[in-house]
Amino acid sequence: MIQHHPTEQTLLAYATGSLPEALAIVTATHLAQCRLCRQALGTLEATGGAILDELAPVPLSGDALNRLLDRTDEPAPLPPPVLHPDLPAPLNRVALGRWWPVGIGVRYRPLQTAGAAWGGLILAQPGRSLPKHGHEGRELTCILSGSFADGHGHYQAGDLSEPLTDHDVPPMVTGGAPCLCIIASEGMRLRGLLGRVQRLIG
Amino acid sequence: MTQEKPSPDGPDHAALIASIAVNRDRAAFAALFAYFAPRVKAWMMRAGSNPTASEELAQETMLAVWQKARLFDPARAGASTWIFTIARNLRIDALRREHHPADLMPDPTDEDEGPLQADRVLSMSQQEVRIRAALSLLPPDQAEVIRKAFFEDKVHSEIEKDLGIPLGTVKSRLRLAMTRLRGMLGDLG
Repeated sequence: MIQHHPTEQTLLAYATGSLPEALAIVTATHLAQCRLCRQALGTLEATGGAILDELAPVPLSGDALNRLLDRTDEPAPLPPPVLHPDLPAPLNRVALGRWWPVGIGVRYRPLQTAGAAWGGLILAQPGRSLPKHGHEGRELTCILSGSFADGHGHYQAGDLSEPLTDHDVPPMVTGGAPCLCIIASEGMRLRGLLGRVQRLIG
Repeated sequence: MTQEKPSPDGPDHAALIASIAVNRDRAAFAALFAYFAPRVKAWMMRAGSNPTASEELAQETMLAVWQKARLFDPARAGASTWIFTIARNLRIDALRREHHPADLMPDPTDEDEGPLQADRVLSMSQQEVRIRAALSLLPPDQAEVIRKAFFEDKVHSEIEKDLGIPLGTVKSRLRLAMTRLRGMLGDLG
């Protein structure tokens, strides 16, 4: 049962397309599993549609339609291939680097995305904490399997953590299974090994 | 009970898309193009693209409408909403060379949404109509922050600068506006 969701601000940024790619991928991972948030997103997108209708039209050049009608035989672009059948959508189609050890019992696999945010998979063994960071800007974590707890709550598969303040307590893996999650952040200052890997693969 | 059309004062855009899907109907496409291409271009220009790039994106959006017409499902989104999401995804691709993750999502028909009920089909096609009505009923200050957030690609701090109001006020107006919109849609179930 999913209990933690993105803020409305984050969903709105996703709906308008202004969320940096890495953060959007984490949000989409949650959306793929959360019917409630898909409904909220549907309302936001319908608002986008309604506002599009209201815009004062700006005419295109006179031959625009004919130029387009000449292209109606073009095939639609193919969807990106599934690269990682072991991961849930949409992560199965995104480019990922290799796994890096970033501490005892913690590994990191970066998303190969552009834009103002970065992110990747984190796999942490039971009892380990997720890498420490102080963050500026948005940070999102969606759990794929296992669970963790921090000062704000207990998070399980499908939950999305969006801390609004600095972690006072680093997220700690709970239960007997490893915790796999996808994280993304803008402007997170990394410490320790993950920071060094981050600089190395930049 | 009479069924509301998606656009009370215009053609039924969903029917035009269906006709493109089924008949490769070029006349239906021309009608859709005449309505949406200039609006998508207007959006791109407001969001900061130059007129040439904006026209290009409007063209690419309409080409995708032609190519993907068969995937349009009026039970899941109104015509304007569907075209909004296509234009949004293409804009992200073009401007940032990033994919919107919506492009990476599985085909919606594969999703585990359960069977669609006839009344849901009806209500989804009406959702845009209701939202349009709701938007016109919002206080002007709330409507303004929503429009800016959607079509000028402004982060909240920029809206703050534009409108000369504190960030907290921007956020609370947005929140109020969205709550209000949702409230008016709440009876859709």
